[in-house]
Amino acid sequence: MTTATVEAGAAGHGAEPRGKRTEDGQATYLVAIAEALWEEMERDDRVYLLGEDIGVYGGAFKVTEGFLDRFGPDRVIDTPIAEETIVGMAVGSAMEGFRPVAEFQYADFMSSGFDEITTVLARYHYRSGVPLPVVLRGPSGGGVRASSFHSINPEPWFAHAGGIKVICPAFPADAKGLLKSAIRDDNPVMFLEHKWIYRRIKEPVPDDPDALEPISVARVRREGRDVSVITYGAMVHKALEAAEELERAGISAEVVDLRTVYPLDEETVLRSIEKTSRALVVSESYRFVGIGAEVAATIAEKAFEHLDAPVARLSPPNLPVPFSPTLEDAFLPQVADIRTAIERLSAW
Amino acid sequence: MATKVHRAAKADARPLPDERLKEILYFLKLARYFDERMEALYRQGRLPGAIYSGRGQEGTHVGVAYALEPGDSLFPTHRDLTAQLTKGLDLKRVMAQFWGRIDGYTRGRDGNSHIGDWYGAKTFTVMSHLPIAYPVAVGAAWAYKRRGEPHVAMAICGDGATSNGRWHEALNWSAVFQLPVVWVVNNNQYAYSTPNEREFPVPTIAERAAAYGMPGVRVDGTYVLEVYEAAKEAVERARQGGGPSLIESVSLRWRGHAGHDPATYVPKDLLERYMAERDPVRTYEEQLLAWGVVTKEDVAELQARIEREFEEGHEFALASPFPEPGDVTKGLWVEDGYWRSEPGRGGGTEAG
Repeated sequence: MTTATVEAGAAGHGAEPRGKRTEDGQATYLVAIAEALWEEMERDDRVYLLGEDIGVYGGAFKVTEGFLDRFGPDRVIDTPIAEETIVGMAVGSAMEGFRPVAEFQYADFMSSGFDEITTVLARYHYRSGVPLPVVLRGPSGGGVRASSFHSINPEPWFAHAGGIKVICPAFPADAKGLLKSAIRDDNPVMFLEHKWIYRRIKEPVPDDPDALEPISVARVRREGRDVSVITYGAMVHKALEAAEELERAGISAEVVDLRTVYPLDEETVLRSIEKTSRALVVSESYRFVGIGAEVAATIAEKAFEHLDAPVARLSPPNLPVPFSPTLEDAFLPQVADIRTAIERLSAW
Repeated sequence: MATKVHRAAKADARPLPDERLKEILYFLKLARYFDERMEALYRQGRLPGAIYSGRGQEGTHVGVAYALEPGDSLFPTHRDLTAQLTKGLDLKRVMAQFWGRIDGYTRGRDGNSHIGDWYGAKTFTVMSHLPIAYPVAVGAAWAYKRRGEPHVAMAICGDGATSNGRWHEALNWSAVFQLPVVWVVNNNQYAYSTPNEREFPVPTIAERAAAYGMPGVRVDGTYVLEVYEAAKEAVERARQGGGPSLIESVSLRWRGHAGHDPATYVPKDLLERYMAERDPVRTYEEQLLAWGVVTKEDVAELQARIEREFEEGHEFALASPFPEPGDVTKGLWVEDGYWRSEPGRGGGTEAG
């Protein structure tokens, strides 16, 4: 981990997010998210945004900069600091046919709306038959020296809630296509962006407003023969870096990007294990009862006969994300940790 | 924004046509009979799950819900089944719900008064974490305002739930956005075992409305017409664009928090006084007799009808099939189509 700054500030110039692409037409992950929101709002006037400081200010990370001018205060709503009611407002308006997208300034603050998320949003349709097409989105994840209350990965909490789809994209094109799918989905979706990726990763993204990425479909990001690294979010980039380094040492690692952590695409994971016979599961969410634990258990249960080595896991311990660079780097899985784990597995 | 204290309606003032006054008597007496019979079945071990009696609070429940139009939405609690029946729930399906059957409003996915009928009576399916429906009512009310529709959202919670942060979040938000919503607090003086003085440090809940810049009124929840008139005023104000209101309706919870609770913490003399002098069902029945709106024969006929409907509901519930065990995972995701299958099953809960 090399970055030492907390990223915030203007995303670029011009109101329409596409105007913020680079000169050669690439979009950062942040701009890709803004494009998805913009295009879905243009497409469907039932879609509206609500959240703290998203209108006049354009959002803490400036994802919704320019949206208020284009869509007006009825569709870009600056709310009081009241997270339970942000979720409740989204649910109640969804019951009346709207398709709300609520921004949490940081995914950490989703815990302030926890009851409305896990009790109402997750459990309402199963008990009532009333669809709740609600998207909750916000920046998650660490590695930007933002310490305990601006760095968490809450995906296990909400994956465990049962009735919420949980998406954690790693690339701009995936972020764009998956957010559009989330907004068009009739179920509640938690869309967890990763703030370390926001301005660090850029690539070409589709111009077609109907180009979607499917929810609950993982993607093999890098083909390999010897070891499968199953991961998602910012850890995909660490895994790809480790895999590149090992290629030169003659070890071929496959990297599977889950993209959606709930419901899980088991098939793509198991197919990869059938090919490599070795599995390393890397997650930025906690180790104990984490996403990685579930993936590892699934592999052990359903691909046992294909395994040549025990399933290995890399993930942070269940403790608050620490601030000091030495502590945070020790806390999060690093490229070197992943490389070492792959080497150990390939030696079996 | 001064808090008003309503006095009991004048004995010679009839706020509604006779037929509607009789309808209110029907709901009051239905609620009382249902509550007593379900408790008896529960104690006999013939009713699974739980019961949450609304006895003693019928004036609040019927009074507020009767002020709503069909297009208005209601966000109640487990205590407020009477309000849901008044809003239009079908007794048969309610009873199928209590017995965990497929014809219950939740298709066996929830029980007792954790019930709702969004696409029919326009009521929210109840949840236990109070006042969890208050923030949701904000969203429905916002939708009506945004679309310019003449609908109102009404949410009910108990006195204890006003201690929760969400209660304040929702009132504050509704006032900031001037939403068409009516906040009802069914103050039955006890939150499970906790009395009012351990829940809030001010004399009334109604006066808290001033902190949110909305009208607040405290009414006698044992007199249904007083509750109705206050609710009607608040509902119509919201409908006309006048924003949110708070209604505190005071009565006493006659039974325990749930069926298992003997409620020995309620002073005996307080309970006896309420039962003797402030019975919302008897008070109203006597009022209608005095007005000549009904005769004793009418009342007996009404009671016989209610008992017949209860028996029909009970038979319907016991004859309704249990949900298929193999369907346990169905209905979680919209795309599995479960809630759109078998039209009619589940009480009008299918989308569209």
